[in-house]
Amino acid sequence: MLTLSRVRKHFAGTRPRVVLDEVSLDLAPGEFVAVIGESGVGKSTLLNLIAGLDHPDAGSIVFDGVDLASLDDDRLTLLRREKIGFVFQAFHVLPYLDLAANVGLPLQLLGEDAGAISARVRGILEAVGLGDRLASLPRELSGGELQRVAIARALVHRPKLLLADEPTGNLDPETAADVLALLHRSVAESGAGCLLVTHSMQAANGADRILRLTPGGIVAG
Amino acid sequence: MAVALAAMVPVSTRAADYPDVIPGRPLRFPEDHGAHPAFRTEWWYVTGWVRTKDGRDLGIQITFFRSRPDIAVAGRSRFDPAQLLFAHAALADPRHGRLRHDQVAARAGFGLAEAATTTTDVRIDRWSLTLEGSTYRARIQAADFEMTLAFAASAPVVLQGDAGYSRKGPRPAQASYYYSRPHLTVSGSIRTGADPEAVTGSAWLDHEWSSEILDPAAVGWDWIGLNLEDGSALMAFRIRDAEGRPLWAGGSLARPDGTVRRFTEKEVQFVPGRLWTSPRTGARYPVVMRVDVPGLTVMLSPLLDDQELDSRASVGTIYWEGAVTATAEGRTVGRGYLELTGYFRKLRL
Amino acid sequence: MRLIPFLVLVAAPLRQFPGRTAIAVIAIALGVALGLAVQLVNSAAADEFGQAARRLSGAADLVVRGPQAGFDESLFAQIAKMPEVDVASPVVEVEAPIVGGEETLRIAGIDVFRAARLQPALIAEGTDPLDLLRPDTVFVGRSTLSRLGLEAGGRVRLRNGLEDVELRVAGVLAADSPAEYAALMDIAAVQSLFDRSGVITRIDVKLAPGVSRARFVAALSLPAGVTVQTEADRNESLSRMTRAYRVNLNVLALVALFTGALLVSSTQALSIARRRSQLALQRVIGFTRRQIGLQVVGEGMLLGVAGAVLGVVAGVLLARVVVSLVGADLGAGFFAGVRPEVRVDAMAVVLFAGMGMAAAVLGSLGPAWEAASEAPALALKSGDDARAFRPLRSPWPSVSVLIAGAGASTLPPVDGLPLFGYVSIAMLLLGTILLLPHLVPRLLARIPVPRSVTAALGLSRLRAYPVQAAVSLSAIVAAVSLMVAMAIMVTSFRTSLDQWLQGILPADLYVRAGDGGDTAYLSGDKQSAIAALDGVERVEFLRWQKVFVDRSAAQITLLARDEVDRDAEARLPIVGDVDRRASALPSVWVSESAAAIHGWRPGDTLALPLRGESREFLIRGLWRDYARQSGAVLIDRRHYIAATGDRLANDAGLWLTEPSRLADVRTALDALATGGLTMMTAGDVRELSLTIFDRTFVVTYALEGVAILIGLMGLSSAIGAEVLARRREFGMLRHLGVTRREIGVVLGAEGAGVAAVGLAVGAVLGFAMSLILIHVVNRQSFHWGMDLHVPWLGLAAFFAVMLIAATITAVASGRKAMGGDVVQSVREDW
Repeated sequence: MLTLSRVRKHFAGTRPRVVLDEVSLDLAPGEFVAVIGESGVGKSTLLNLIAGLDHPDAGSIVFDGVDLASLDDDRLTLLRREKIGFVFQAFHVLPYLDLAANVGLPLQLLGEDAGAISARVRGILEAVGLGDRLASLPRELSGGELQRVAIARALVHRPKLLLADEPTGNLDPETAADVLALLHRSVAESGAGCLLVTHSMQAANGADRILRLTPGGIVAG
Repeated sequence: MAVALAAMVPVSTRAADYPDVIPGRPLRFPEDHGAHPAFRTEWWYVTGWVRTKDGRDLGIQITFFRSRPDIAVAGRSRFDPAQLLFAHAALADPRHGRLRHDQVAARAGFGLAEAATTTTDVRIDRWSLTLEGSTYRARIQAADFEMTLAFAASAPVVLQGDAGYSRKGPRPAQASYYYSRPHLTVSGSIRTGADPEAVTGSAWLDHEWSSEILDPAAVGWDWIGLNLEDGSALMAFRIRDAEGRPLWAGGSLARPDGTVRRFTEKEVQFVPGRLWTSPRTGARYPVVMRVDVPGLTVMLSPLLDDQELDSRASVGTIYWEGAVTATAEGRTVGRGYLELTGYFRKLRL
Repeated sequence: MRLIPFLVLVAAPLRQFPGRTAIAVIAIALGVALGLAVQLVNSAAADEFGQAARRLSGAADLVVRGPQAGFDESLFAQIAKMPEVDVASPVVEVEAPIVGGEETLRIAGIDVFRAARLQPALIAEGTDPLDLLRPDTVFVGRSTLSRLGLEAGGRVRLRNGLEDVELRVAGVLAADSPAEYAALMDIAAVQSLFDRSGVITRIDVKLAPGVSRARFVAALSLPAGVTVQTEADRNESLSRMTRAYRVNLNVLALVALFTGALLVSSTQALSIARRRSQLALQRVIGFTRRQIGLQVVGEGMLLGVAGAVLGVVAGVLLARVVVSLVGADLGAGFFAGVRPEVRVDAMAVVLFAGMGMAAAVLGSLGPAWEAASEAPALALKSGDDARAFRPLRSPWPSVSVLIAGAGASTLPPVDGLPLFGYVSIAMLLLGTILLLPHLVPRLLARIPVPRSVTAALGLSRLRAYPVQAAVSLSAIVAAVSLMVAMAIMVTSFRTSLDQWLQGILPADLYVRAGDGGDTAYLSGDKQSAIAALDGVERVEFLRWQKVFVDRSAAQITLLARDEVDRDAEARLPIVGDVDRRASALPSVWVSESAAAIHGWRPGDTLALPLRGESREFLIRGLWRDYARQSGAVLIDRRHYIAATGDRLANDAGLWLTEPSRLADVRTALDALATGGLTMMTAGDVRELSLTIFDRTFVVTYALEGVAILIGLMGLSSAIGAEVLARRREFGMLRHLGVTRREIGVVLGAEGAGVAAVGLAVGAVLGFAMSLILIHVVNRQSFHWGMDLHVPWLGLAAFFAVMLIAATITAVASGRKAMGGDVVQSVREDW
């Protein structure tokens, strides 16, 4: 479903540096892969490239049978909208929308009708344990709850791929474990593939595969 | 009295034309004590010595000028500048070191500034000189002094020149009508500080009017009017050119018995003595002067050196007009005034 | 804290947002420049007048003045002889039209002997003193000489009656001689040449030592219409004449400063929001609250200093340009013919620079307090979201400010100035801005939710952040409301003026002897000749002059027109009641301004000075007069002639037998007066009046434009700042699959939403303010009323343009602020 072949990315600047060097990666549908690595090794860059938010210098990325290099920015955006979900370290739940609106946002972007959205949002929020908080505002929630909302938002439109960037980085260990468990469960239920990047071995546990990203390339963890 | 002089002047829209001074016109009094508005220039000139109660000698000078300017007058306004009046007053006080003097100027009219034609009665605001009977009265309110003086005339009028026709230059029209009143007895008060001081003394009045007085070559004149102790009165003048040479001269000696000896232009000599330089203007005045006339030589020495008078704001010139003592052979023979004009710049009337 | 690191700390954030900083600085600078320029221009003009008067009167203590046409010269002799008087100097003043030009020459006829006692140095050295007495010579001021293209020794032709008077320019006035009078002549010459025989217009008096003004006045019996003034009185009445106009401009300058303060405030508030974590960090590492507060105020101060410096420079330049282009009256026509030198007055510079800095500091105080009172831990933790949920303060303080503002508009003027009117406007503005956080959500709730998800997103965001929206809005509300208020006021004024002109000019052709000045007139013969012209059905003649009534400092205009007794009520734009009782007294109709200034009412008896005699008239009613701000009274010319014997006329209104005869009549009139008549149809007069009106308001229009621009820039900067602050949000939306264009829509929706609210609030506020301008400020300043006219079409167009501009601005500034790395911003950068 997702294939990276010899992807190379360097950043220009006063001290140009190579971030990703000949990275190749395969992700099967429904597969949960964790990529661990030190800070600055290019984990986030890897996710941006996969999401079409950035372009590789060399190599190819094929997602769902399409070479990303053949798509322009608008098509890449639509691709994200339809087929990719994101979970961030800092949750990024819009503070001015209630939980239902936050979670429903991807469906609204896809132009689904209000009734369908409402049912789907209610279902998924129940699934993440926040079925009674539809009208709450984000500021009333704890960090763990916010990340549950984020997971719900990432999966509400049934994406083929979930990209998670340090999803437990802002959480205490206990909450982190809960959220991680929810993530695994939800991904499994949705049937999406998931690529999780983290620096923490703990967060990587439970993945189908663990890869280690090093300055030299990507190796099996 | 309050009739505007302007109204009596022949109305003309052209520049003024002035009557000539001609010989043989007899002077008539009291009319000729008054103003002669048709003529270009006229003055009443009082000089004298007075003494205060504590014995200080002061020199006094009070002059009223009348001028009919050489301009066209429209004749539709009471402000028409047909007749202009000026006055000076000066007080020479050795204790003060220089002259106190002041001046006023006005166009005639509105009863504020007038020169009567019937007798001597000239006034500019609060300055006046009037003749009542045989006594002249002067009231002067200057910026830093006041004078209220009476001048009683006992001696007869002295007609200068040829029965009042006094030549001032080579051309006959260069002349004035001119008479003097010597040996006026002065009484009255002078105030320089807070309180007026009573004064008495002896003075001299000249009244002179003309239309063309100076030869174009003239730059100024020297003049004396002396009340001599023997009761006679000496007047002498000379007109100078740019080199200081006399262009014309004249004078008279009026004796107490009423006879008058008139001097021809050759008979009068002015011989400058010591020069005094004005610290203000730089003009050099012969403040000590020897005057020779037939039968008499007098040395004149000033009451004080600095009797320079700046009248630029009214008649437009600076001259020296000073109280002097006359001595002959080392003995004081009289007192009076010496006038030195044209030493600052050429005099223009 | 040492100074240098402090300055670095203070200056760095300003450098970070150069655009926003620049706008705040410009707004402050504009306020300073405007205020300073108005002040400098005005004091230049006032100085010129004051000094001019002082220069002529020199050591005079008092000035005896009468009507424009003068008083009997015997008063001069009477006063000169008084023991209380040291010097009395008579003057006859005329203003004569220059033949073949549009200018007039103000001439003072003086008695040089008496004038010199008060002021010795009148004439430049080296002139023939007799030229001061000649009947055909004039001395002209140097600036006037060059303006009129004259030279010493040359000739100038002036108009008297319908005849020409030729004068020789004998010399130049001394450098410091009076500029109020462009020229000096002999008093007798002026009397003779300009038909002023027996008449003078002023007497400068120096009192004898120790005599008080009161003793002098008590010893004096003045004819009616003659009054005694000090120079201070006169300057006061001159400055009073222009004060209201000047104060209006100063208020506009204050508005600019106020807008500047708002911009500083919003700049700082947004900058603080942006740096919240940074400031919190500073707190954590040991900065005290006080230091944080000082830092923010210091930033504001820096903006203020920059604005003040810029403003002072611009203000001085502006003053110079205005004086040379528009004139010292700022185009209002008060000081025609005066081109004073603009001198930089240190006091004014300090005052307005100080006000600029104060505005900036005041603008920073709120944000500073906010920054200082923030709990650092919370700020560090929650990024910049928490500020959105700051609880609203109670609306009651702002509501009470609004109520107090409305109340202030009912208070009477203070010393002739509508101070409370301005206070009212300021309070309404302030109250509205304080109330914005409460108003904004209510208004936003009324905007229907757009179908587009992204547009809806923008709207939801606005609704959630009312305080923030209010901050962005304050500048635009201020600008829009003032713009709307001024637009309504100016339109009301202009329309009222137009209607007034149409009513007050019923004749077919208006004829005036000469163009300006007071020496040209129509003699009795010429009047008969005009009336007898072929094609003329009827003529009304008008005689006018300026007179003193009530011994007050300002003159009013006495108008004597034919047929007033017959048709006044039908012809005049009457305001209020008319007294129709039978009375033995002749009627007088007084203008609104005159009535307001002197407190006259219909039914009162009014004593008018006519040729030195006081004559009683019955006030029948008030009429609207936009032409004479100091007031005017109208009587029938019969009564005027009976009282004064003056049969001359200044103007004539001609009714033609048929309109087609207009050209013939014009030709005949030209022949009759050898070209000495100015002729205008009612349409010409109207057109000219409106042109003058528009010129007067040019400055106002320009200021409004600038205010709008600043408001728009403020909005743009606020939105730009918002976008910067919300880069993570946009980054997240991009991850979620929102295109750049759709983000543009979000921003556009927000911009349009903010602008819509701002325009709505601004429109309502502006309308309220326009009512205060019309019914309080104008009435109290100028004493005339006007009817409300709203320029609906213009305002609608203005709102549409503003809405579009705000939307475009928002999108553009968003696009600019949303550079390439917005995607990166979703990562935690702390």
